[in-house]
Amino acid sequence: MDECKVIIMGFGSVGQGVANALSMKKDLIKDKTGVNVKVVAAADSSSSAICQDGLDEKLLVETKKEKGKLSAYPEYGSDKNGADVLDAVEYDCLIEATPTNIVDAQPALSLTLKAFEQGKDVVTSNKGHLALKFREVTEAAKKAGVEFKYEASVGGSMPIINFTKDTLSSCKIESIKGILNGTTNYILSRMTAEGSEYEVILKESQELGIAETDPTQDVEGIDAACKTVILANSLLGIDATYSDVKVEGISKINSHAIELAKKDDYLIKLIAEVSPDNLQVSPRLVKRGSSYDVSGTLNMATIKTDLADEVSVIGLGAGSLETASAMLTDLISILKTKY
Amino acid sequence: MRINLVLELMDTPGQLLKALEPVSSLGANLVTVIHKRDYKNKKGNVPVQLTIEGEHEDLKKVVNRFEELGFSIIEMDSVVLKERITTIFHGHIVDQDLRDTVDRINELEDVDIVAFDIKLNGEEKSTALINIEAGIGRKHAVFDKIAEIAEEKDLLVINEV
Repeated sequence: MDECKVIIMGFGSVGQGVANALSMKKDLIKDKTGVNVKVVAAADSSSSAICQDGLDEKLLVETKKEKGKLSAYPEYGSDKNGADVLDAVEYDCLIEATPTNIVDAQPALSLTLKAFEQGKDVVTSNKGHLALKFREVTEAAKKAGVEFKYEASVGGSMPIINFTKDTLSSCKIESIKGILNGTTNYILSRMTAEGSEYEVILKESQELGIAETDPTQDVEGIDAACKTVILANSLLGIDATYSDVKVEGISKINSHAIELAKKDDYLIKLIAEVSPDNLQVSPRLVKRGSSYDVSGTLNMATIKTDLADEVSVIGLGAGSLETASAMLTDLISILKTKY
Repeated sequence: MRINLVLELMDTPGQLLKALEPVSSLGANLVTVIHKRDYKNKKGNVPVQLTIEGEHEDLKKVVNRFEELGFSIIEMDSVVLKERITTIFHGHIVDQDLRDTVDRINELEDVDIVAFDIKLNGEEKSTALINIEAGIGRKHAVFDKIAEIAEEKDLLVINEV
């Protein structure tokens, strides 16, 4: 086989990032794997563009940006959306980039399960279905004999899941501790640098687009807790779900706490801890100059292993192309093993 | 082989003799003793610096015997054997009986609060940084106690990673 037909479901920041990254890297992927990747459909929440002969990635992004809807894509725009798109065209791999839903994991859950039933591989950036039903989803993939990859769900461009599974494969993973949410790290970094209060920096972060209008998922630790569950299941083999994580966000952190910590050469960071006896997201004290001392929207994680002791990774935790980079890496690894 | 260690003795008669007895009786040799009674640490105990020489097994027996006798070893070969724990509390720390909080941590065996720095904010919640010294292996007991107090008094705890 020398062609891989993909559907991009979800056409927000991440979905558009994937389209852009694919148009930039198509030739490279062909050189590396001998496979030509073709986007046969892309869908946003209410419409889609579908063409068995392939769509133009740049034109998809342009259409979405200018017209707001993929149904406006010249000639191949369609009102089909959701699971119907998976029936409308022949494809090999679903690139699932719909928004995370931590209540019932939809639409990611049903899209993913449907793709598995159809015998298709799935690459996802979504955290909802993984945080709520990790075992169910991974077992469904195994049963269907398809590939299911989710590097982009944790840490954006920071390599952690594949890195730990492949590069540290000789080691037993004892624990992972890290900063898994860029927005809160940005807020805490600025509070530390400027001595300002939480509410002030939050407001500025919202104006800059770093924090969302409703910042709850980030500042209350929900996003980091989802990632904690994904790491616990995928790397430590802990059968955990979202409700098993103790979660405390950063909204109670004031300038006094940061100032007191500074006096003793500490910083306050929102740390996710993944170990067999503790799944927790909470503000913690970290030594200045330690591996946890990363600022801005950066993410980091320290992986404690039996043979290699501690290994740390750092990278940009969010962003359109950054997250897309992790999804393309997953896609390439599927192409390398299956094609 | 030779090891250097610092023991913590109570300032009462006979303590030094009691500490030195196991050295010879268990087959090790005493090389140096530095004992300055006029220097006391924060707890009011006197640190004694010892250098002892002998077979590895014998030295191990001596160290175990010190522990059985209840002498706490603060340092061994320049490795500090006391851990320092730093934590931050945020909440109604004073109204929720600050003295009780401090006492309950200090009551733990081999655990002492050595510094306490509090920022008050009128009627609002206050924030305090606490430095605790604990014997090796006592960290978990301290964290458990802190969690228990925090839960009871509705305090936010910021522990070290």
